[in-house]
Amino acid sequence: MTVEPRFDELIHAPTRLSIVSLLTASEWAEFKYLRDQVGLTDSALSKQLTTLEEAGYVDIRKAFIGKRPRTSVRLSARGQHAFAGHVAALQEIVARAGMAVLPD
Amino acid sequence: MDTPRIPAVDAELALAEVQARRDQVVGANLVPGWFWPSIGGLMLLFVAAVESGRPAVVATGTVAYVLGLGALIIAMVRRSRVQVRTELIGVRGGLAIAGFTLVLVGVGIGLGLALDAAGAPAPATIACVPVAAGLALGGPALMAHLRRLMLSRPLGSVR
Repeated sequence: MTVEPRFDELIHAPTRLSIVSLLTASEWAEFKYLRDQVGLTDSALSKQLTTLEEAGYVDIRKAFIGKRPRTSVRLSARGQHAFAGHVAALQEIVARAGMAVLPD
Repeated sequence: MDTPRIPAVDAELALAEVQARRDQVVGANLVPGWFWPSIGGLMLLFVAAVESGRPAVVATGTVAYVLGLGALIIAMVRRSRVQVRTELIGVRGGLAIAGFTLVLVGVGIGLGLALDAAGAPAPATIACVPVAAGLALGGPALMAHLRRLMLSRPLGSVR
């Protein structure tokens, strides 16, 4: 499927790029997994996820496993499309500059 | 195109970040090395216990197998905090997993029947030895293959 390059300022912010990159490789990810991998506090991660959720890029699901609450996050179809466009835009910038593009 | 003017080196670094994060997710999903010899050992123990035909040994072996398998499953579930996207595994990954399973099952059943026909003692246990060895040695190789496959997928692919 061909994706139109579209630079996405919301995704490109370093912390959100890390979060969305993790999510784009995942069906779903636990809140704690994202927090530990990106190295954020609970509140900082919540803030970033809220921003992404308001843009319609992620779905947040809260459930209980036994008595323990578990929050999991997944990239929505809109988020996947935005991310694909963003990656295509980055690749185009790199290609224009004649730099070595990572395996696409 | 509404691409802002960011330096190409920044774009390159962003792409490297995307690739590194995928690597993290893939790494977190691969079955760890200790799982394969553990499952092979448990299977061998169980088959040998059943084939012994002694009720006490069968009972002990069965309980040990169930407890061991349960512990392995719990360890795997507790370790799972992220699920890799199915599309990354793809058809080729699915075929690799199916092929690995079919080869081991085929070797186990084929060798077991052949040994039984030849009148060998404990044919199922003997046939289980190469299967357990195949799990211990082939499991990590399968994981390495799946890792390469998943990391080679296009970064921006969509469903």
